[in-house]
Amino acid sequence: MKKLLAMLLIGAMTISTVACGGSDAPAAEETPAETGAAQEAPAETAEEEAPAAEEAATETEAGGDAASAITLWTYPIGKWGDEATVKGLTDAFTAQTGIAVNVEFLAYADGDDKVNTAITAGQAPDVIMEGPERLVANWGANGYMVDLSDMLDDTDKSEIQAAPLTACTAPGGEIYEYPLVMTAHCMAVNLDAFKEAGADQYLDLETHTWTTDDFIKAVEALYAHYNDTVAAVYCAGQGGDQGTRALVNNLYGGSYTDADHTAYTWNSPENVKALEQLKSMDGIAFDASLAGGDEIVKFYQGILKMAFCWNIAQQLDPNSAGTGSGLTVTGQEIEFMSFPSQTGESQLQGGIWGFGIFDNGDAARIEASKQFIKYMADSAATVDAVKAANYFAVRSTAEGTDLTGIWADNEIMNEYQVLMPQLGDYYQVTPGWAGQRTAWWTMLQQIGSGMDVTEALTQYEGEANAAAAE
Amino acid sequence: MSKQVSQKRSRALQRREDIAGYSFMLPSLLFFVGFVVIPMVICIWLSLTNSNMHTKGGGDFIGLMNFINLAKDKVFLDALKNTFVIVFVSVPTVTAFSLWVASAIYKLKMPVLSAFRCIFYLPVVTGSVAVTVVWKWIFDNYTGILNSVLKATGTIDSNINWLGDEKYALWCIILILFTTSVGQPIVLYVSALGNVDASLVEAAEVDGATDLQAFWKIKWPQIMPTTLYILVITTINSFQCFALIQLLTQGGSGTQTVMYYIYYTAFKLTEQSGHFGYANAMGVILAIFIGILSAVQMRLAKEK
Repeated sequence: MKKLLAMLLIGAMTISTVACGGSDAPAAEETPAETGAAQEAPAETAEEEAPAAEEAATETEAGGDAASAITLWTYPIGKWGDEATVKGLTDAFTAQTGIAVNVEFLAYADGDDKVNTAITAGQAPDVIMEGPERLVANWGANGYMVDLSDMLDDTDKSEIQAAPLTACTAPGGEIYEYPLVMTAHCMAVNLDAFKEAGADQYLDLETHTWTTDDFIKAVEALYAHYNDTVAAVYCAGQGGDQGTRALVNNLYGGSYTDADHTAYTWNSPENVKALEQLKSMDGIAFDASLAGGDEIVKFYQGILKMAFCWNIAQQLDPNSAGTGSGLTVTGQEIEFMSFPSQTGESQLQGGIWGFGIFDNGDAARIEASKQFIKYMADSAATVDAVKAANYFAVRSTAEGTDLTGIWADNEIMNEYQVLMPQLGDYYQVTPGWAGQRTAWWTMLQQIGSGMDVTEALTQYEGEANAAAAE
Repeated sequence: MSKQVSQKRSRALQRREDIAGYSFMLPSLLFFVGFVVIPMVICIWLSLTNSNMHTKGGGDFIGLMNFINLAKDKVFLDALKNTFVIVFVSVPTVTAFSLWVASAIYKLKMPVLSAFRCIFYLPVVTGSVAVTVVWKWIFDNYTGILNSVLKATGTIDSNINWLGDEKYALWCIILILFTTSVGQPIVLYVSALGNVDASLVEAAEVDGATDLQAFWKIKWPQIMPTTLYILVITTINSFQCFALIQLLTQGGSGTQTVMYYIYYTAFKLTEQSGHFGYANAMGVILAIFIGILSAVQMRLAKEK
């Protein structure tokens, strides 16, 4: 009897061990989702979907050469970070093609870590949605992406604006990203606060531009009125760093990289002057406790009177809070503005987003992924895909569907078009991009802590260029 | 003859017990080997290579080059310094505070004692993300309650950027780490003090020993094993401080620690050649320091 019991126990333990071991396969899909605590909710979703996705993804439609299921990982690009919106889009695609799409939502805080972990584990998703700085300059340059050149014929190339298409093309001519939407990043001001402080006189609300002198006077007026920090050069991390880059570069006409996108050019007299100017202003704080997202929150709460991390998606839905377009939480009016420059004509940072395919070595899944991209970025359904992103379409028409007027009924989007001609060089494809971002915010922290501006620029530009040379 | 049979039976019984014992251990052993021993060996091996995410396999063997580079890496040396500051401040304060609180509450009536245990253990069982978010609000530069209170009481004139200023950030991290670390030691000390032989304490008191003498001569030696355990786990936890840094400062404002730098190098610096090997080398150094410090603590406690 004892023997039988012992054998039963041993059997149970062996089975439980094997069962635990057996769950490793689907768990491999979950691994990347477990790397960040902040991603608990999406991770759970992925956990539920992973086994089904894996099972389905390996199946191939009878008689077809496209897989019956693919995985899509998307960063929060407008409503592409919203589960219900994306489900509507993918369900429509599935209804038309029979290809199921299993979606995982990434956050900017740790999305790159998840993707890198997945690549290392050989579990990269089929399709990923983000910008050329990741898809082209990083994962594409390292050979993980599929060249999508065959998806773009001459008609497509004529329909897509040259700048985004160039940004999505690697130096060797491979197209690693099929662009969908674009925008110009800008800044924002709390108009009611400006009026209260008498600083609204420095804003040109027709063109949404202002000069460096106007900006300085406005900050002085605001500080004189509120006697507190009115804007923050946030530098707690890399989040939203496009804002601080654009602010520094535009004030006196500096640049971030060279024209060929081969080296970083922070240490210029123009950038030194800009940073010294910002450092000397009472109303501006170099704040190492805020990243871009935190700055938006403080601006939305009315604490800060300006935000350097802004774009049309924020203008439409400030802080993604759903409390009304162009309004702070207390109902104060928000105006989007170009970054100040000596002439008022600035070089705004572009944002481009689209789709790329990871080369997982499965022709059927690559084919299904291409069908997905074609559906979202070049078909009648592109209207919905673009609207979900809350940005502007990169192309004029998609398979005969006119995309130029899709925001005609939206006053804010129409007004925002005034900034689009100021779209500057898309330098985010410069080598060493991921590494240099840390150098940038660390440098801002050091300047905020009292380090000499020229010394800081010299040291950290050196680090950025070392990353570029890797 | 019968003796031989008896010995044989005894050996058979022993063997059967051994098999049963090892069988019960097997699942844990498999997990221990699979998730501790093997990764440890892989970590040591990779620390001697230039492994990175872009090359297949384990990378090329480069000897001690990663360790040599680490000795010249200013960020790593800063991280190491900060880590030691955290350990050397956190471990004694956590241990002393826990002992003090436990000494004060262990004689209380059960419901009161349970309430205290719950209060002190709450930060331990609460998710670190939730705890950190609350602390982030407290330390907020613009609307944090700490600045409001200090300003209202006239202690400070203008807001202090607690998490954004190098002068304060690391100490804020240590404070949060302290609050999340004291719960378990308090519970352990309450239990250990409760198990101290009361007759010995009474005898000492009858002989005229003061409270301090009774504690130092009678109780302290008896709770030494608990103290040793607390010292070792607090040391390890302090060395491995990661979540707070990740959630609050991302290594900025002078709060870079070795654990965070390992994560950053492995998962963020993917463009740097050999970043996996480099991160693993840091892991090996951290493990060596933890091992040395734990061994020293054990040795000292043994001598005591």
